[in-house]
Amino acid sequence: MASAVALSSFSSLFLRSSRSSSASSSAPSTSFIPRSLTHPPSPLRLSAPAPSPAATSGGEIETTFYYNDDPSNIVTFDPPERPEGYVPPPAFDELPPETEEEISAGYEELYGPAYSGESVLGNDIYVMDAKLKKTSSHLGRKKREKVADGFEERVVQVRRVTKVVKGGKKMSFRAIVVVGNKQGQVGVGVGKAKEVVDAIVKSSVNARMNIVTVPMTKYSTFPHRSDGDYGAAKVMLRPASPGTGVIAGGAVRVVLEMAGVENALGKQIGSKNALNNARAAVVAVGKMRQFSDVARERGIPMEELWK
Amino acid sequence: MERRYWNINLEEMMEAGVHFGHGTKKWNPKMAPYISAKRKGIHITNLIITACFLSEACDLVFDAASRGKKFLIVGTKKKVADLVASAAIRARCHYVNKKWLGGMLTNWSTTETRLQKFRDLRARKLSTLQTYLGGIKYMTGLPDIVIIVDQQEEYMVLRECVILGIPTICLIDTNCDPDLADISIPANDDAIASIRLILTKLVSAICEGHSSYIKKG
Repeated sequence: MASAVALSSFSSLFLRSSRSSSASSSAPSTSFIPRSLTHPPSPLRLSAPAPSPAATSGGEIETTFYYNDDPSNIVTFDPPERPEGYVPPPAFDELPPETEEEISAGYEELYGPAYSGESVLGNDIYVMDAKLKKTSSHLGRKKREKVADGFEERVVQVRRVTKVVKGGKKMSFRAIVVVGNKQGQVGVGVGKAKEVVDAIVKSSVNARMNIVTVPMTKYSTFPHRSDGDYGAAKVMLRPASPGTGVIAGGAVRVVLEMAGVENALGKQIGSKNALNNARAAVVAVGKMRQFSDVARERGIPMEELWK
Repeated sequence: MERRYWNINLEEMMEAGVHFGHGTKKWNPKMAPYISAKRKGIHITNLIITACFLSEACDLVFDAASRGKKFLIVGTKKKVADLVASAAIRARCHYVNKKWLGGMLTNWSTTETRLQKFRDLRARKLSTLQTYLGGIKYMTGLPDIVIIVDQQEEYMVLRECVILGIPTICLIDTNCDPDLADISIPANDDAIASIRLILTKLVSAICEGHSSYIKKG
């Protein structure tokens, strides 16, 4: 009790020096606190339900405490034991300033010379060039990327779109591309550019960023029915027995084929917009779960799911 | 993850003013579990929770540093710019203390091009690129953990990290959203003393982690 009184008056004295002054000075002035008050609160075990406000110091500063009387939520801070002979390390601005050389040497030890332009430990400063050339330069990409990824692309739609400006009409091309390896991963991407080829490249880059996995059974079909919608497009997908093939229209067909699904039924209900239907198909496929995963999550044997 | 002793004591935190929040009218109701009292129109955060989260953050950071992960410290307010720079240099981490260029992480390939340019211009040493890229000139790829000093100021940084899936540690004040960052430490982001204290703890954890990583070989 006494410690709580001491603590609350301790902090109330703090607030007398206004917050802005404590913010402007780098170290808050401790002259306000009389020595006697800094000493008592040694077992500072405040748990979230703080003691009653009746014990707070007088009426000059009104405090409202928010109590958390929820027993499951009581937070206590119990750090591990202080090891003997523990010396707290000095703060970083109290250390002697390091020379530039020491700093560069330290960084280089950990990361190599990277982009600093100078090497203290004798490493090659152009080491990043070799790494950069491997990943891409714009010319190399068009030839290599087609095979490297394992992803096949198919263009769903290329449209010429127009922006009307003061001088007339600005034409550009919008390409919608579906990217997939035939093993259950698909992605839909959009890209716009002044030339068709560039637009297709942009959209395939975009498609590779939003890839989704299709859960497939061993007969190359879905585990169960699913609906998905995006915008005004609604797509219904249904599994089919082997030998059926993919029976779906337009964009949905392309998405399912690129995923590697061989037997499925799909219907576009609602809008017939290609992009939105492709995205709705991806949403529908994202909602599907394998039977084994659901059984594991719910903690029941798989046979229960088919009852 | 092993819990170590980080010399976090509540008196020190009270002296630095870590428990002060912003004005009552500017609060974010999601911060309600972390606020313990209201006094003179200012919210007071619960220091127990701060201490818990800070020690957890230090443990995480020590663990990551001892496995050789890369860190990035971001703080662009004028008051704390020098603090962030000296803290990061001491801990051998990357840092951004002047303006955060949009897309620094999500558009990493373009940032790399700028860094290359910076390296080639080094000879002249007068470039303005030094202010923006000076802290990340040793960065070879995306960082593994990002430490953000003020959520309101560095909202874009947080968004980029969430998009890329990079874990973040953030200093949260009473007007911020605690759900965005992975570990959010409720603390005062206005007073230099409080930021200094928290950065000291994190930096000491990183240093220890680095030294144990170097020892391992």
